[in-house]
Amino acid sequence: MQPKPYDPDHKIDLDKNTCPNREQRANGTNVYYGKATQLIEDAKAGKTKCFDRELQQTSGCVLNFYLTVRVSTIRDAAIIYHGPLGCSSSSLGYREIFRSVPPELGRPQNFELNWITTNLQQSDVVYGASQKLKNAVLEAQKRYDPKAIFILTTCTSGVIGEDIEGAVNEIQPEVKAKIVPVHCEGVRSRLVQTGYDAFWHGVLKYLVKKPEKIQKDLVNVASMLSYTWQDRLEIKRLLGKVGLRVNFIPEFASVNQLEELSEAAVTAPLCPTYTDYLSRGLKQEFDVPYFLYPSPVGIKNTEAWLRQIGKYTGKEEEIEALIKEENKIWAPKLKSIRERLLNYRGDGKRLEVLGSLGQGRLLSQIPYFDELGLSSSAGLPQDFDNLILEDIENMVEDIGDFDILVSTFQAAEQGHITRNRDPDITLTCPFQGGAYKREKSVTRLHALRGDPDPWSTQSGYAGAIAFGEFILQSLENKAFENTMKEKTADSYKDSWYEQPNPLKYVDRESSK
Amino acid sequence: MIKRKQIAIYGKGGVGKSTTTSNLSAALSDIGYTVMQVGCDPKNDSTNSLRGGKPIPTVMDTLRSGSNDFEQIIHEGYNGIFCVEAGGPEPGVGCAGRGIIAAIELLDNNGIIDDYDPDIVIYDVLGDVVCGGFAIPIRQGLAEQIYTVTSSDYMAIYAVNNLFKGILKYSGSGGGLLGGIIGNSIKSLAEKEMIEDFSNKTDSEVIQYVPRSPTVTKCELEGKTTIEGDPDSDQAEVYRELARKVINNQKKFIPKPFDVDALNDWGSTWVSRILLHQKTSSQGIQDDGSGV
Ligand SMILES: Nc1ncnc2c1ncn2[C@@H]1O[C@H](COP(=O)(O)OP(=O)(O)O)[C@@H](O)[C@H]1O
Ligand code: SF4
Ligand SMILES: [Mg+2]
Repeated sequence: MQPKPYDPDHKIDLDKNTCPNREQRANGTNVYYGKATQLIEDAKAGKTKCFDRELQQTSGCVLNFYLTVRVSTIRDAAIIYHGPLGCSSSSLGYREIFRSVPPELGRPQNFELNWITTNLQQSDVVYGASQKLKNAVLEAQKRYDPKAIFILTTCTSGVIGEDIEGAVNEIQPEVKAKIVPVHCEGVRSRLVQTGYDAFWHGVLKYLVKKPEKIQKDLVNVASMLSYTWQDRLEIKRLLGKVGLRVNFIPEFASVNQLEELSEAAVTAPLCPTYTDYLSRGLKQEFDVPYFLYPSPVGIKNTEAWLRQIGKYTGKEEEIEALIKEENKIWAPKLKSIRERLLNYRGDGKRLEVLGSLGQGRLLSQIPYFDELGLSSSAGLPQDFDNLILEDIENMVEDIGDFDILVSTFQAAEQGHITRNRDPDITLTCPFQGGAYKREKSVTRLHALRGDPDPWSTQSGYAGAIAFGEFILQSLENKAFENTMKEKTADSYKDSWYEQPNPLKYVDRESSK
Repeated sequence: MIKRKQIAIYGKGGVGKSTTTSNLSAALSDIGYTVMQVGCDPKNDSTNSLRGGKPIPTVMDTLRSGSNDFEQIIHEGYNGIFCVEAGGPEPGVGCAGRGIIAAIELLDNNGIIDDYDPDIVIYDVLGDVVCGGFAIPIRQGLAEQIYTVTSSDYMAIYAVNNLFKGILKYSGSGGGLLGGIIGNSIKSLAEKEMIEDFSNKTDSEVIQYVPRSPTVTKCELEGKTTIEGDPDSDQAEVYRELARKVINNQKKFIPKPFDVDALNDWGSTWVSRILLHQKTSSQGIQDDGSGV
């Protein structure tokens, strides 16, 4: 019998305790260096695979790479980490960042971090710790009286084979809050996206309610951490103008917002790779329609995104009117930014931008760069899987071939690639931006919800302009680059840059 | 189409789980069911006698190689039986329990079992239930019925008692329940009686006794199950009877295991009885009652 080929319409199975890993669900890879067209071909042939690296630096695990942070923002919920203390630590720092954001710039007022860890010890590993977990659930109920209690699993609970569902079944009758176990053991998968799927699996299985009524004006938008506070306001503004309400999930959502996901008119993407599991699940279980492409980045795609929403909400006409109105205001601004960028070099050539992008942003940013009059002959995604195969094919058809350098946040690889390609502008993710120095422009791609200032907008019309301005500014002012170069040493030795292979430390033998 | 039946077979190492399981699979397959046998023992030899004595690559081997080619983990054996070995580390290193967890999660979460759509899935599990990993097939009803293979050896029964503790523990949270005990390598009436008594005292039931038979060894050396190697033998008929019983058995017991001291006391009485019996039969000495 043959293994089944990748099926873009695959079902998800909520009878299971958790989702499949991205490696298996969509043939995910953590290393690739080649043309987009080649990657598409390899992905179709099932040749993309994960590899070990002999040198691995910045990164995170399925649990602590964003998932902890995301889940801990859900407002009237509590979160229990079933593991040693360290697994839970990354959510604590974000609390401070989020609390410094003023409510008028987008942060909900009643944001609290309701955080408990079972702090597993030696004896818990030896004897099992389900009693401790049950006690933690009772404690969370008593302390916070939350609407939901999320249990996040860790390597430790996974290795000892703790029976999480068993414990949940036993303790659920004793607490009012709905318990939602999320299987995100760090050792489970090399691709952090597995953690997102695992989270949505729990939400779909335990939290989302059968719809009581259909809310024709409700649009689900799964908001990535890397989109900004201002993006939420911009999206709300646009959809608000045609009488639609946005259900932003999961960050800073209330439990009720998660419960009523099934009542929405459509699930719209900000990042397809983050939302696909949820979108599929809502369609399959509750017949909520969805689309995964495009995201509202750049004017062209914002308008396409709005039109899709118009289609599913029966607001085609209102949306056309909105587009007309907004386009009149913003398109000239974009045009002027585009002209400045096109003429910047003065030799008729476009400025070259190299962006460190998630695979979702790969889809949204590259067409936007094109719209800005920039050329991006390469993109650096963290990972790649078959979920975006079709979209990336369409994109290549649209704007031509480009290089894809899947590098999973490896600062050394990105530094090497950046040094050798020497683009005019480098956009880094906050995780590895400090690792390399350059004379030409380098600026951030996003600020992980840390910066609520209006200049950080990236989505919608306002975002298309704000981010264009942001890029212009990074070309005008080189003080940052100069100071960094002068005051701090390079992170890597010259020999690293002189040898030709940015993937030198990838162990090709580790996968066959 | 019938509803898929998933069972797990536990027992002490060496007690005859894989032999019994493979014969059961082979017999079920002969009746006409599609069978999948999943070896959950780092020894990786569960399905050998279904495949001419040859080992197959394991799920963990495949995972470790980074391949997502599921074809590498399912191998057809005797009469089209789907053979899978979970795999695991060499003795003395790593974590065999985690190996079982990872392998079963891979099969389950990716819908692989659904794709192959067997009527019956049999997990052959190393049965001292030493840690959470080996309990996976019991939990949340992955297997709806648990069977256990035991001989009259005290340590084998001790392992069964431990398994009962595990079943009891998970019975409150939707775990699989006991389908019955398979008494294996039976050589005497006393051995049968000992296992029978254990089942009575623990609120369980023996579903079948399988005699110790050189036919099994002979076929094993040929890399075959008894069903394949000597289908006309009495032993093969025993396995076929077991297969019919397992298919029709709907019983689900929540066993009442002995506590350790009580098991010890119970065991010593029976062990002396069996020793005496062996002595009488091997040395011609009569036990009490009718003298020479
Ligand atoms: N009923 C039986 N008659 C004769 N030999 C048997 C019988 N059951 C098991 N054996 C033998 O015992 C040995 C161990 O059996 P095996 O099935 O590998 O045990 P386990 O899987 O429990 O570790 C094998 O060599 C097998 O042939
Ligand atoms: S889940 Fe595992 S990898 Fe992640 S922080 Fe905890 S121990 Fe580390
Ligand atoms: Mg065996």
